[in-house]
Amino acid sequence: MAAPTLFAISAVGRDQPGIVAAVTGVLVEQGCNLEDTEMAVLRGHFAMMMLVAGHSSLSAGDLEKALASTAANFDLLVAVRQVDITAVDPTPGSPWSVSVYGADRPGILHDVTAQLSEHGVNVTGVETRLVGHPGRAVYVMLLDVTVPPTADGDAVAAALAELGGRLGVECTMRAADADVL
Amino acid sequence: VAVRPVVELPDPVLSRPARPAAGLDPPARRQLADDLIDTMRASPACVGLAANQIGVDLRAFVVDITGHRKARSCHGLMVVFDPEVLLAHGPVVAREGCMSVPDLTGDVSRASEVVVRGSDADGGEHVIRADAFEARAVLHEIDHLDGLVFLDRVIGADALFHRKIYR
Repeated sequence: MAAPTLFAISAVGRDQPGIVAAVTGVLVEQGCNLEDTEMAVLRGHFAMMMLVAGHSSLSAGDLEKALASTAANFDLLVAVRQVDITAVDPTPGSPWSVSVYGADRPGILHDVTAQLSEHGVNVTGVETRLVGHPGRAVYVMLLDVTVPPTADGDAVAAALAELGGRLGVECTMRAADADVL
Repeated sequence: VAVRPVVELPDPVLSRPARPAAGLDPPARRQLADDLIDTMRASPACVGLAANQIGVDLRAFVVDITGHRKARSCHGLMVVFDPEVLLAHGPVVAREGCMSVPDLTGDVSRASEVVVRGSDADGGEHVIRADAFEARAVLHEIDHLDGLVFLDRVIGADALFHRKIYR
């Protein structure tokens, strides 16, 4: 049997019950198997990101066509592209978590991740939320990052704390090792 | 030394409550304890192992957190048959991985103080009070004996992570 083809599928639309069932129903009909997925509600909009394995004869265009009527029914913006099959986690290093919060201003996520990138730290997960009242908006960010063996996590944490001071936001970074029990 | 293969998901032995070990004869009991200890020792990062993780459907586990940086109480090597949780309180969230769950870790809330009754490899009864990391390890293993893995207790859809390759 030919190796399966891997597709990256994204879909976004106003949140309502039934989206996941409808989209995955089409994928099942197309003989696809869901591998890694993340889905979340962002300010009332449902965002889906999926890596899906399908038959080698299937193309990204076929999948987009198959998803078209569901996309229309739920007013979803759907995009499909074929991607390479790669290793699960190519970045060696130790896991850390970064929390940032403070009065909202443009550029916080950019400034923080630019600092991380300078140290060779890889961002593996991002969640941000804008909360609070108009005029007193609070920006909250949580990042999962991987500190490579060539970098010192405590030094990166110190640099981030210093950056937070300059930006007027709280910025903490802590080791997030898992214990194998 | 009898190092046994560690069973991984989706083996059903991990998802069934294990049977009481009280009826086991003394040599078999000793053998099971030794197999658990040897298998746990064979993996440097492993601080605990439940019998169903080596495919044995009986209520027994071993834990040894000696030298772990998150340890507070430390009983050294613990071998516990037919454990019973008498008291558990003070929930704390921490990230766990498991020999039986490949590639993933997750944030799990567990009691930080626990009192457990059980018997050792020779049948002697003990009441053990553990806290901090030792309490977490004991509760993780007892969960195995109840047919639960950490995935059953992950605190949210956004609390699951890839296990890192340490180099």
